[in-house]
Amino acid sequence: MTATTPTVGRQHRSMAWRRWVQRHGWTVGIWVLLLFLVVWYSTLIPRFGGFQTATIISGGTAWIFLGVAQAVVVIAGGLDLGVGGMLVLTSVTAAQLMDGQPLGMVVVIAIGIVIAAAILNGFVGWIITVSKVPDIVVTLGSLYIYQGLALMVLPKVGGGTNGSFRWMFTGSENGIGSNPWPSIVVIAIPVIIVAWWMGKTKSGLSLYAVGSDASAAFLSGVRAGRTKIVAFAVAGAFAALAGFSSVSISGVGNPTTEGGNLTLNSVAAIVIGGVALTGGIGSAIAVVPAALILFFFNPILSALGVDPNRAQVIQGVLIVFVMMIAGLLEWRRLRRS
Amino acid sequence: MPNPRQPLLSTEAIAKSYGPVVALRSVDLVVESGEIHALLGANGAGKSTFVKILSGVIHQDAGSVDINGNRVSFTVPKDATGAGVATVFQDPALIPDLSMDQNLTISGLHRTDIEPWLELMHLADLDFGLLARDVPLATRRLIDLARALALDPQLLMLDEITAALTPEQADLVFDVMRKWKRMNRSVLFISHRLGEVLSICDIATILRNGQDVANFSLDGVDEAELVSAMLGEELAAVAVSADSEASPLVTSVTEQSDVVLRGVDLHFREKVNGVTFDLRRGEILGVTALEGQGQDELFAMLSGDHRPTTGEIIVNGDPMSAKSPYDAIRKGLVLVPGDRQIALFPQRSVRENLAIPLYNRVARWLKLQSDEGELVDTAIQRLDIDTRAASQVQRLSGGNRQKVTIGRWLIEDFDVLLCFDPTRGIDIQTKAQIYDLLREVAANGAAVLLYSSELREIPIVCDRVLVMYDGEVVHEQPAATATEEVLLTAAHGLGAVKQ
Repeated sequence: MTATTPTVGRQHRSMAWRRWVQRHGWTVGIWVLLLFLVVWYSTLIPRFGGFQTATIISGGTAWIFLGVAQAVVVIAGGLDLGVGGMLVLTSVTAAQLMDGQPLGMVVVIAIGIVIAAAILNGFVGWIITVSKVPDIVVTLGSLYIYQGLALMVLPKVGGGTNGSFRWMFTGSENGIGSNPWPSIVVIAIPVIIVAWWMGKTKSGLSLYAVGSDASAAFLSGVRAGRTKIVAFAVAGAFAALAGFSSVSISGVGNPTTEGGNLTLNSVAAIVIGGVALTGGIGSAIAVVPAALILFFFNPILSALGVDPNRAQVIQGVLIVFVMMIAGLLEWRRLRRS
Repeated sequence: MPNPRQPLLSTEAIAKSYGPVVALRSVDLVVESGEIHALLGANGAGKSTFVKILSGVIHQDAGSVDINGNRVSFTVPKDATGAGVATVFQDPALIPDLSMDQNLTISGLHRTDIEPWLELMHLADLDFGLLARDVPLATRRLIDLARALALDPQLLMLDEITAALTPEQADLVFDVMRKWKRMNRSVLFISHRLGEVLSICDIATILRNGQDVANFSLDGVDEAELVSAMLGEELAAVAVSADSEASPLVTSVTEQSDVVLRGVDLHFREKVNGVTFDLRRGEILGVTALEGQGQDELFAMLSGDHRPTTGEIIVNGDPMSAKSPYDAIRKGLVLVPGDRQIALFPQRSVRENLAIPLYNRVARWLKLQSDEGELVDTAIQRLDIDTRAASQVQRLSGGNRQKVTIGRWLIEDFDVLLCFDPTRGIDIQTKAQIYDLLREVAANGAAVLLYSSELREIPIVCDRVLVMYDGEVVHEQPAATATEEVLLTAAHGLGAVKQ
């Protein structure tokens, strides 16, 4: 009897391993692609070191947070076009309120803004739930409203924030440095928390349940409306983190930033990150390399000397290409089963 | 007066309507502790609606529910489980994209809560890391059951749980039910399989037309008695009044008529298990069955929506290999689907809906404008469609909508009309018009395959009838002599006779 046990164990382990690869294959692939791009980029430019790494990571931070915000809503079967507007609104609010404040006060203000953003966007989710108007319509409205509110908070470029706060998001008190670690930590903590919440807890798994099969979720005792409100609230909080990152890099608030473009970037990031637009499938973790790849595109193409207009075309082709690969893999999986 | 002991569950005058369609008129039901109670009734008797009300999925329009003598009111499923009523629904309630572990987390359970029950059902080695979508349907049903049991309810409701199970698995479920009963808990059991009901249940309540019509102990009762209780005595009277000209059809179809559609040993997944039939020119072939016996999949295959796992569909002598309904329509097979929502374009006008098949013929594209109007006018007249609400099909009544669905195919030539329960929820007058229409279609040389859940319309409109059970044709006979009793008996998989 004892002789057979290790074999069974090994078999079990190899099965578990295969399943892990199957289930997280896309995430692994995206990380590998990112790694490949980094190595390639390092051969394209004369010097690749801490400064370049820090620039890319801190520059990508806002894209990552906005991508995670979108992923949370889309996994729950929704769509939030307003996240880009929320980034603009929270960044100008931060710049307005934090200007000249000591670090302690700045942190208090930051926490307040995150909470307010969660409540405001959760309210948008509530409106969708109650009115039954499609997400895309209501959040198109919220995008315009946030953008307009941003101009009311701060009519033109201005404001500022504390140097230590900027260091937290960029690794430097003036926004440009060569220490990538603060950015990595500031990305990792919220992303890991939200990924753990979505994968392990009842309330987090409810997002997948509602996005995957709303009627089965209802029969399992999940409250779809409440779940959607929570998803939008979490998205609001992540959009606020993206807003802080934006202020930290530039040092000022800019109410004329185009929130709509930022929203579209977030959608592109989750698509590349393997989140199904139909809901129920995907992970917040995979959005991190996907957003970085998207952000990485411009530096790579400019290092290659490609005209920026053409760069957009290439970016568009890449998104469609990635979607086609995803579709092909899904089709093969269905055919096998 | 001392308070008499309260029953575990009692409902009083539960009623529910969906718009003009009455699902439940008034249902009184009493379930005592420690009993296995069967809830029986033909299709559309209201069983599923009743279960949904008791499990908090929908709320009743009128009537009350008491548990242990306390009035309860459920608005979401959680309220029901909180009050001690857990349900295994007909539709699986596991989230396909989540693993088993994650599915349990959603219900606030851990795998250790359901493991003792899984062991009883021989599923002790279940892999909790699997996604629900990768688990076989039968296993998912058993997990649904284990999950309901782990909530430790006083009343367990099982809606057609055995439908997807093998006989061995069903026996395991019965063992679990008996054990549950010994713990002085109760089960409300719904099944189309009367043999199962008699072997496991103590008492039965019969629903008919949304009302509880009988309640009796199952000691010494046999299957035939259950069937006649489900049919009721006033059956004959109802059958006559259903259609004033309700005389059995005199069939003109003979062995010499051309076979236009032939199914040869059709299989689809586990749902259709070897269906073979011939449909002749001018014939209306009825198909009847209880819900979920493979009829949906059969029609989906014939209309080109599903491809058969094995077997052949032969249209006018040629094998059909349809990749989509488009191919089937080109072959002359047209479908009137059961779900009227998907059959029509609700925001477009009656005229446009009728003309849709014409849009398919690209070659005649230029001609379309000139003859569209004429064809459509003829169809509207023939169908007697009320055109007051003609600008948007969604404003028509159910019966008129169904006429549009059938009528659109009258504009184009076809060989076979596949009709899936076309008269469900339609008033009697419109029903008669639809019967006339189907007969006219057949008289003009086409063939009709008609699935109907209303047994009494089979002799009125069909030439011949097939009864399906568990994915197979278990009974075939001329429709004129098909009594409801014979059909219902065959539909329960009892006394299968080929005539």
